Amino acid sequence: MADASPPSEPVEVRLRDLRLGSGPVEIVARVLRAERREITRSSDGGRRSLLSGLLSDGTATVRFTWWDPPREGVERGDVLRAVAPEVREFRGRTELSFGWKTRVGPASEAELPVVRPEEIPSRGLKDLTDPMEGFRVVARVVRVAERSVTVGDERRVVYDGLLADGGATVGFSAWVDFRLRSGEAVEIVGAYVREFRGTPQLVLDERASVRRVEGTDLPTPATVLDAPPVAIAQLEDTGGAASASVQGVVVGLLPPSGLVYRCPRCRRSVQDGTCREHGPVTGIPDLRARLVLDDGTGALTVNADRATTERLWGTTLEQVLSGLRDRPDPAAWESSLLEAVFGRRLRVRGSATRDDFGVTLQPDTVEPAEVDLDASADRLSARLGDGRR
Amino acid sequence: MTGRETAWRVFARELEASLEPERGTGERATSYVLSPFGARMNRVLLAGTLSTAEPVGRDETPSFWRARLTDPTGAVAVTAGTFQPRAMEQLRAGSGSRTVLVVGKVNLYHGRDGTAYVSVRAESLRDVTETEERAHYTEALEQTLDRVDLVDRLARGEAAAPREVGFVPPPWVVAAAESLRRYPSADRLQFRRDLRPVLGRIVGVASSALVPPAPPSVQVRRDPAPSPSTAPTAAERAEESLLLEFLDQVAEASLDAYADRRELLARVGAQGLGTDRAEAVLTRLEDEGVVEEPVVGKLRRA
Ligand SMILES: [Zn+2]
Repeated sequence: MADASPPSEPVEVRLRDLRLGSGPVEIVARVLRAERREITRSSDGGRRSLLSGLLSDGTATVRFTWWDPPREGVERGDVLRAVAPEVREFRGRTELSFGWKTRVGPASEAELPVVRPEEIPSRGLKDLTDPMEGFRVVARVVRVAERSVTVGDERRVVYDGLLADGGATVGFSAWVDFRLRSGEAVEIVGAYVREFRGTPQLVLDERASVRRVEGTDLPTPATVLDAPPVAIAQLEDTGGAASASVQGVVVGLLPPSGLVYRCPRCRRSVQDGTCREHGPVTGIPDLRARLVLDDGTGALTVNADRATTERLWGTTLEQVLSGLRDRPDPAAWESSLLEAVFGRRLRVRGSATRDDFGVTLQPDTVEPAEVDLDASADRLSARLGDGRR
Repeated sequence: MTGRETAWRVFARELEASLEPERGTGERATSYVLSPFGARMNRVLLAGTLSTAEPVGRDETPSFWRARLTDPTGAVAVTAGTFQPRAMEQLRAGSGSRTVLVVGKVNLYHGRDGTAYVSVRAESLRDVTETEERAHYTEALEQTLDRVDLVDRLARGEAAAPREVGFVPPPWVVAAAESLRRYPSADRLQFRRDLRPVLGRIVGVASSALVPPAPPSVQVRRDPAPSPSTAPTAAERAEESLLLEFLDQVAEASLDAYADRRELLARVGAQGLGTDRAEAVLTRLEDEGVVEEPVVGKLRRA
């Protein structure tokens, strides 16, 4: 590049050691996120392209800005070597800027710094936020299940589950088989945090490593899964949870509930024979119920799948389909579903998320809830007093 | 946050004592009825014995029905009109008294003489077993006492949620503070006594052994008096609230948070509000700036 005589030879540093005004440096890091933009100069209206995003080398995650980047070929996951980037600070956090003085080129995985686990700060699950990288957690595997997904043309197996420590429960997604078993205590290094439906989730890919530990002070899966129900108002307040149990009464149904048709490719609901994503398709019939569960402190939506809907309704998809000849009106079926579920007292456990319309619960279990009448009567009698007060 | 309105667990006695209307913020916002005991109700869940429904008015084809729901503490009117065909059908089903669970919207009406009447417009209703009724009373009594305790704490100037109480729903705290402000002389001790017959029902005393008191109507002075001249008729208001309710539901179910106009019309049509009527109501709501259509066929609250 143009600058023939740098003041001194750049020193290779790790991202967590970047300091403002410490002389020329050199870094190797992976692109976690990258977004391309065009900026119009106000002076002459000329256009300049800009790539910005996040870099990580396992020790820290920093924001970067790259002026006039190559037209293509910088993707999430790429490892880059940058010589003489400009170190800046914005709102107390270190940033990198790649300008005309910076030499940026591809690097290999092996060039990434080797980080020993002891060097990595330990984090509690409740402290995880998106984006975060370069930490280790010690947690109990509460639950793990295998799921097959299609990424482009490739079929991959993902291991989804729940992790818990003394402070929180978070969901995880492992793209590599770490042979995780529910009940075991593990130390995870090299995972990163991503927001999924509004709550932080731990993602484990090839860079992560898992080690079994004693974990005697960690909660057991049973304590997490059998946790007593929380007030729905509490979920409305905190904004969701990876694993939450609530108990309430079904007071209504939200559309679409009952018989729906789904796109054969993406499973989205099909409206008038058209998928939002894939155009005209022949929908596959399915049952679902969007139950409004209310506990007197708040209300949330429970998205019940076909199996749960059939169980609560006492009617199968086959029965609905064969009954369509006699009763073609979908509203009549929705009424019948509402009659079957209205007023039912349910205990539901699953992952809760919140958006502008309130809290939605994606259930793992839906069970009828019982009220212990005798115990409650004793308690209430004590609260009401004996009538002399 | 624009979550769904909670169905407050209350007894008839608390509804009878509720005289204060309250509008949420914003134009044509949700309306509430405030009780003296810490409930700020748009929607309630009730259980009790329902009388045979009777038509309201002298029309040949009545469009509005009313029944009386009695619980161990009092009684309240439950209504349903042609705009809620499903609820109306359920309200009219069967004759003689039966035990039901009702979810519905609370309505407060002040007569010309200043008398306040609370009624509940049923959204859904069904017959329940005695065990289900007892379970409901258990929950409703527990929550009612929790709310009265909360109002008591605030009245004594104590913390809303001391450590030994644990989590207290933030909407309850708001409601309790407002109850205290609007009903400074409410008799909470008497209210606790009024709740005592519920206990008998929870432990399983036959309902016929408990004769509920006759529902009192309550005299209140209102200052200033509400002006009925410009207010829409009850029927128009019912149409508007039905339409807005479905608008919210359809919008909520859609990915882009807009309610599709055709879908909305189909849905309210299924509820008995014909397309012409619905279009007229929509036009009125759009004229008044309550609803807007920024994209053709896509509606949302303004
Ligand atoms: Zn599709």
